[in-house]
Amino acid sequence: MADPPARPVKGRRSKVEGGSARAADRGLHATPPGPLGGSHARPDASAKVAGLTRYVGDLALPGMLHAALATSRVASARIRSLDTRAALAVPDVVAVLTAADVPGQNSIGAVFGDQPLLVTDRVRMVGDRLALVAARTPEAAWIAARAVRADLEAIPGVHDPVAALDEGSPTVHDGGNLFRTLRVVKGKIDSRRSKATVIVEAEYHVGGQDHAYLEPQGCLAIPEGRDRLTIVASCQCPFYIQHAVAKVLGLPLAAVRVEQAPTGGGFGGKEDYPSEPAACAALLAWHTGRPVRLLFHRELDLQVTTKRHAMVVRHRWGADAKGKLQFAEVETFMDAGAYAGLSTVVAERANVSCIGPYAVPAVDVKTHVVYTNNLFGGAYRGFGAPQVTWAAEATIDKLARELGLDPLEMRRRNALDGMARTLCTGQKLVGPVLAREVLESATRMADWDAFRASRPQGSDRLRYGMGISLVLYGCNLHWGGQQLDRSSAVVILQPDGSVIVRVGLTDMGQGNLTAAQTIAAQALGVAPAAVQVWQPDTTTVGDSGPTVASRGSQMSGMAILDAVARLRTRLDPVAAELLGCAAEEVELGGGFATVRGQADRRVTVATVAAEMASRRLECIATGWYRTTPREFDSETGQGDPYEFYAMACHVARVAVDPELGLVTVEEVSAAHDVGRTIHRQALEGQIQGGIVQAMGWGVTEALHLRDGVLVNPNFTDYIIPTAADAPNINIAVLESDGPGGPYGAKGIGEPAFIPTAAAIRNAVCDALGLEIDTLPLTPPTVVAALGDRHPLAWVLEKSR
Amino acid sequence: MDLPVQDVLRPRSLREALRVLADHPGARPVAGGTDLVVQLRDGRRQAELLVDLSRVGLDGITETDRGIAIGAGTTMDVIATHRAVRTHFPALATAASQVGAWPIQCRATLGGNLANASPAADTAPALLVAGAAVTVASARGQSQLPLEELFVGPGRTSLRSNELIVSVLLPVSRTGAGRRLVERFVKVGPRREQIISVVCMAGRVVVAADGRLELVRLAFGSVAPTPVRARATERLLERRVLDDRLRQEALGVVQEDVKPIDDVRAPASYRRLAVATLLDRFLAEVARG
Ligand SMILES: Cc1cc2nc3c(=O)[nH]c(=O)nc-3n(C[C@H](O)[C@H](O)[C@H](O)COP(=O)(O)OP(=O)(O)OC[C@H]3O[C@@H](n4cnc5c(N)ncnc54)[C@H](O)[C@@H]3O)c2cc1C
Repeated sequence: MADPPARPVKGRRSKVEGGSARAADRGLHATPPGPLGGSHARPDASAKVAGLTRYVGDLALPGMLHAALATSRVASARIRSLDTRAALAVPDVVAVLTAADVPGQNSIGAVFGDQPLLVTDRVRMVGDRLALVAARTPEAAWIAARAVRADLEAIPGVHDPVAALDEGSPTVHDGGNLFRTLRVVKGKIDSRRSKATVIVEAEYHVGGQDHAYLEPQGCLAIPEGRDRLTIVASCQCPFYIQHAVAKVLGLPLAAVRVEQAPTGGGFGGKEDYPSEPAACAALLAWHTGRPVRLLFHRELDLQVTTKRHAMVVRHRWGADAKGKLQFAEVETFMDAGAYAGLSTVVAERANVSCIGPYAVPAVDVKTHVVYTNNLFGGAYRGFGAPQVTWAAEATIDKLARELGLDPLEMRRRNALDGMARTLCTGQKLVGPVLAREVLESATRMADWDAFRASRPQGSDRLRYGMGISLVLYGCNLHWGGQQLDRSSAVVILQPDGSVIVRVGLTDMGQGNLTAAQTIAAQALGVAPAAVQVWQPDTTTVGDSGPTVASRGSQMSGMAILDAVARLRTRLDPVAAELLGCAAEEVELGGGFATVRGQADRRVTVATVAAEMASRRLECIATGWYRTTPREFDSETGQGDPYEFYAMACHVARVAVDPELGLVTVEEVSAAHDVGRTIHRQALEGQIQGGIVQAMGWGVTEALHLRDGVLVNPNFTDYIIPTAADAPNINIAVLESDGPGGPYGAKGIGEPAFIPTAAAIRNAVCDALGLEIDTLPLTPPTVVAALGDRHPLAWVLEKSR
Repeated sequence: MDLPVQDVLRPRSLREALRVLADHPGARPVAGGTDLVVQLRDGRRQAELLVDLSRVGLDGITETDRGIAIGAGTTMDVIATHRAVRTHFPALATAASQVGAWPIQCRATLGGNLANASPAADTAPALLVAGAAVTVASARGQSQLPLEELFVGPGRTSLRSNELIVSVLLPVSRTGAGRRLVERFVKVGPRREQIISVVCMAGRVVVAADGRLELVRLAFGSVAPTPVRARATERLLERRVLDDRLRQEALGVVQEDVKPIDDVRAPASYRRLAVATLLDRFLAEVARG
């Protein structure tokens, strides 16, 4: 099967050479004229820069009350009694509610029913809600929340996902701490083991991460009379909130309207979690009959919201003398925390990602989703893939070292390609498989061979290293979430030729408004500025599932294209009449309707719109899209978990000061298989942001938990990178024609994050000549890994 | 959330500020607010009344025959770029330029950095090796004390609630012919900006023409309840010619000068290694000449 060739496109700071024109001659469809692939100004940018965007914290209504939460400060306890009288007595307090006040179901879990909105008998984690307060001022609300008296009887907790499976460990829920084990079983490990000449065994301890979005959680609940209400929320998934609030209040879905507020960052932290504050605000609004706003302050947000799952990943992988992988055994212990949340869904993605884009004949994967009394894991950019990738790419490097192979060569010998296209799930990849192309492109930008030939010798105290990470990313939702994988759009053509677009997927800063605008403008042949995309509202479009899994642009775009096609069944005949041609001959582009092949016979789209209006033709069209149904066996993990895949490779160059354990990421070269670029600047922004955020996770961001309490709930000690830490970033964008979303585009949000930390880890180990299997690579971790090899280790003997 | 403070007074003179402090035991001075506002919010410190020092005229750097006097209200950006400070006390200029990041440096004052008494206060080690003295005022008058006597413990100073730091005096001495002054400040933390020192060090050494160390002052931050001088190490090195053996010995002795603890920023063992590494590098630089 001959795949159409990939086309490398030059990045701003990219070092990739290569003629796009020549590649295009060999078959890549040219990008059609229009805004697609360009970099027009983002529609939301100027208001944000000028401080005019109204976030939830900027909204206020007459009579509005302020909410606060009384939460547990301990991770494991029995609740003997709750006393809210002192809280009610605080001046300006209007309501204090407990579980008894929930009219519907006191249950908030995104997938499973194991999490109450308000706890009654048992505390399972710090942040479990004991009571809710509404008051006339935020100060009064938080003072009252602190005045809620809970008589708690501490019971032993469990804080380690491996120890949690020991016999006799305290249990978080009845039924034990092992919530689920998800498998991938392919080929015969035993017969492959004999073919392996090197075997690497390792245990990786991969830490969690906070989302650190600029805007903490926040929402506003507005009662609309006595039988319905509106929620305005900082969120990624208004439809999740709609379902959650309807369940808690016992209302029909149609009585709950959720409008997404402009959202200051999400990264997964506003996928599942915002349903909780929204249900709290809704309950208070329902009881008081008044608008209620709930805003988290940063310490609370850090202390109680979901985190990237911490994982312990055990490997036994083998390769033959030529470096060909023979088998891979992976056993992962996922710290789910106190509630299942989205953990099983995260495990699904982890399982597909944990072998990487490599051809491995025998695979045995067990991923245990384990309850502990820690903060609970949730969605976070990469969704389980970064953790298992960190382990996989470390093991690939270890095997290469054992075999005396260059890590680049090791990957060349095992990467999937046009011949070897079968994933660990048995899925056969369709279309161009660009693992090798991204690998070669990223290493070329990084000057891999030159670096290894003559490693820079800086000052005597620094050591330099370079590391590779190669990944595959399953686009859209896993088979397990297929029922959610659809989307809705509404396009309204105004009589002046401007266009209103509504989609069910949200912009949280990642650029979905920009992408939807670009795609609508491209499809209707108008300028981007003519298209206004409004924030999602559950009453204007159908349930489009969550804005996660890098699916925003794809799913918005496909539904928009469908809506435009339907609109054109009415628009084209009118244009044809004005142009004196057949409807089939009408083309849209550059603001005009033209006759195909005769660009001078044209009329503006605005003229056609005015004509449609004067004839009272239907100017609104809806669009719908659903992904292709797939088969998958959840017992064996075999089948087609994702519709199609994107490959990515990052190469990191680091400078390490070994004596102080300081890691400086100097440069990251990133090559991405994107299908098709929708908006160049937004695409590069995603890649740059993903790299810097992943660098923070890989190097500095440590969640220090003591008995389930986060002891560094602030940005003084939870150390996210600043702009000053950003490395130089080279970007290569590889376009190709294969399966994808609108115009062939694939998601970029998560592929931009997944490889980076592993590449950094491999670079640091390359620089130091030792293995570090604990993330993040903080200075104490690096120094501890040096152990007695630290040139001054002897001073510790002296001070003992 | 608003601050749990009832009132803010904005006196227009030092006298007025001191009187307010004398009259209100629950009052607390505020300068840039970059420490205090955070601590009031999270409950680490309380104040019924804030006395804003920004109009009192405590800012400015003056050169006198006794040395350089830096007003307590002088902000870090001013200190970091001041010609005389950079010439005579490069460690202090460097430390000031590494407090937080530029926006913080435009608010953060020297007096606040010292009165807050964090063991990690970056200007403290630099001022300790400069031999700084602090001028303190109350409604009753002014007095001077060596900087070391200001620090009592983490977040605690010897100041009374009615006292203010007015200025910090850095004595300028001639290095003398044939002598060489080496002064450095180094801060260790996992981020380039906006980082509280995991360990920081300042060193000031005068090397005589014959190679002997005439003056040795070493100070560390974040390794003890207060910023500390490394007195035992100083004594070891003074009047000696620095060679490899002496340098090694110093790395052992300095461990007695520091008492680091384990905390979220680093375990004590890391801090001990960092102290040795910073001292080793500083002494290597001194030896190189
Ligand atoms: C983001 C951020 C980053 C930071 N980074 C660093 C850093 O890298 N290194 C570092 O050392 N510090 C850092 N800090 C802490 C802080 O900025 C400094 O300690 C600063 O110098 C404090 O000065 P201020 O004027 O803001 O003090 P304030 O907050 O106004 O006051 C601090 C304390 O000093 C008292 N006080 C103030 N002036 C006087 C006076 N004249 N006499 C008596 N008492 C007085 C106040 O009552 C209060 O108790 C950081 C703070 C923030 C918010």
